Amino acid sequence: MQTTQAATMAVSRRVAGPSLGRRLEANPFTWLVPVAVMLGIFYLYPIFDVFRLGLTNASLVGTGEQYTLATLRAMLENPALGGILWTTFVFTFGSVVGQQLFGLAIALIVMRGERRKLKGMVALRTIVLIAWVIPGIANGLIWQMLFSEAPFGAINSVLRLMHISPVAWLSDPHNAMLSAVISNVWRGTAFSMIVFYAALKAIDPTLYEAASVDGASGTQKLRFITLPQLRAAILVNSILVTIQTLNTFDAIISLTGGGPGRATEVLSLFTFNTVFRNYDLAGGSVLSVLMLVISLVLALGYASFLPRREVSE
Amino acid sequence: MTIEQREKWGDALTYLAAIVIAAFFLTPLAWLLSLSLRARQEVFLGASRFIPKRPTLDNFAQILSDPTFLLYLWNGLKLSALGGLGCLLVAAPAAYAFSRFWFSGKSALMMAILAFQMISPLVILVPLYRYMSALGLINSHFGVTMVYIAVSVPMCVWLVKGAIDNIPKSLEEAAAIDGCSRFGTFWRITLPLAAPGLASAFILILILNWSQFLIPFLLLNKDAQLPISVAIFNFSGTSNASTTQVLAAACLVAVVPAIVAFLLLQRMIVGALTAGAVKG
Repeated sequence: MQTTQAATMAVSRRVAGPSLGRRLEANPFTWLVPVAVMLGIFYLYPIFDVFRLGLTNASLVGTGEQYTLATLRAMLENPALGGILWTTFVFTFGSVVGQQLFGLAIALIVMRGERRKLKGMVALRTIVLIAWVIPGIANGLIWQMLFSEAPFGAINSVLRLMHISPVAWLSDPHNAMLSAVISNVWRGTAFSMIVFYAALKAIDPTLYEAASVDGASGTQKLRFITLPQLRAAILVNSILVTIQTLNTFDAIISLTGGGPGRATEVLSLFTFNTVFRNYDLAGGSVLSVLMLVISLVLALGYASFLPRREVSE
Repeated sequence: MTIEQREKWGDALTYLAAIVIAAFFLTPLAWLLSLSLRARQEVFLGASRFIPKRPTLDNFAQILSDPTFLLYLWNGLKLSALGGLGCLLVAAPAAYAFSRFWFSGKSALMMAILAFQMISPLVILVPLYRYMSALGLINSHFGVTMVYIAVSVPMCVWLVKGAIDNIPKSLEEAAAIDGCSRFGTFWRITLPLAAPGLASAFILILILNWSQFLIPFLLLNKDAQLPISVAIFNFSGTSNASTTQVLAAACLVAVVPAIVAFLLLQRMIVGALTAGAVKG
């Protein structure tokens, strides 16, 4: 809306002169119309509607909903919600910490290998990145085959070979969360690794040279040069990974389906079940707003950490 | 210990760590391959038959000779490719404007576009589902493609802007002096010159679209329309212990195209991913 208005205003300001086509194409906002239309139809309007529907009693199938605050109250008083949010927090926190530590460790190893010109470092980077292109659904199914307690479950059959009693990876509520985090870390580490890798490459090598001259040990260099230099990357990465993890849906539905019980039912899965299993469109909208608010807070945090750029490029 | 000795020990530790990491990341895929090459009897023997005694391609033959399965693969490719092409068409003009025009609020607008990336597709699908069914866009590849385009447009704008930024302006200026309109210059000069960058963006979006699950899962109900990601999920629901090897083969077939596309374009994809990374 705003874009088209701005475009018309800008056009009407230059009345005489070149043809309409030339005037339109000289205005940057003309070029933005397709993107504005797509994002308007598929993002802005639905978001507006999610807020509106949250204040109604709409169901997925029926029509003629009425405005009410009852849905909002019922959803916020829903005894399950607290547990769901806690599950979401544990899953997200575990994934973010796991991916960051693991990703940083791999990036440091690859950097060290490259500095010493060791062979196979590109191969290592590639192997980690392959996990990242595995579709989320396949990720869940593959890890199910690893965690399974059936004879074909990889981990348990190795344990049996070693005469260790098998572990209920997916059917025990406590283990199920751990399993979900492990499978998510497997797929997500590549993203953290590549961001850290790029950030490590950008560190000024003279810092390390100066430290070496002063006789700093490897650990001291990591503690006093690498980590402080990576501060921005770590912060930005944490926020991006948190948002990605909050939005994770396919990898969980195919691994545990949210179970056993509700042990791994995260907020996105709960929202999905509310709308598409219980047909409670209004309740699901309240949950969607909750997801939006959490993402928005994180995104604002992200924006405030971005390096300030010059306006003209 | 001399410095050189210490570095040698460091190298050994680096290799050790590299092997452990590689093993962690490769084992799941190796297990998937192992299961998919087994006959049913060997599946029940677990890890002791990590390398199957009588490897068989029967599982692959079974799924690849099933016309429905081929249709799932085709649907997946079709939706991903149409989504990628449509996304380029929508994003390219905006990317051009962000690269070649100066206007106030440009960087704020670019950040705003990127912010859409943070919104879960689930949030927009909750209300979209009802509209799209009212508009008859449920069970339609067209509807799914449109949502794919919308979901990947923010990233696409940034990728294509990067590609256009790398093209020298002089050719465009020459075309303008020769009387070519701005749109003509964009269409005949800028886009062809940006072709390698456009191709990279297309492949990256193709890979991401191939993984899409939620959108087709919600918007498509007819079996013949499903892409492979939804099909393997449905198959896993109906499969049991005795068909695990077939499910493994199906998973592998679903995963391999993404891996191959990634390997072919690794340099470019890593470049695109790191381009926007923060410089500490």
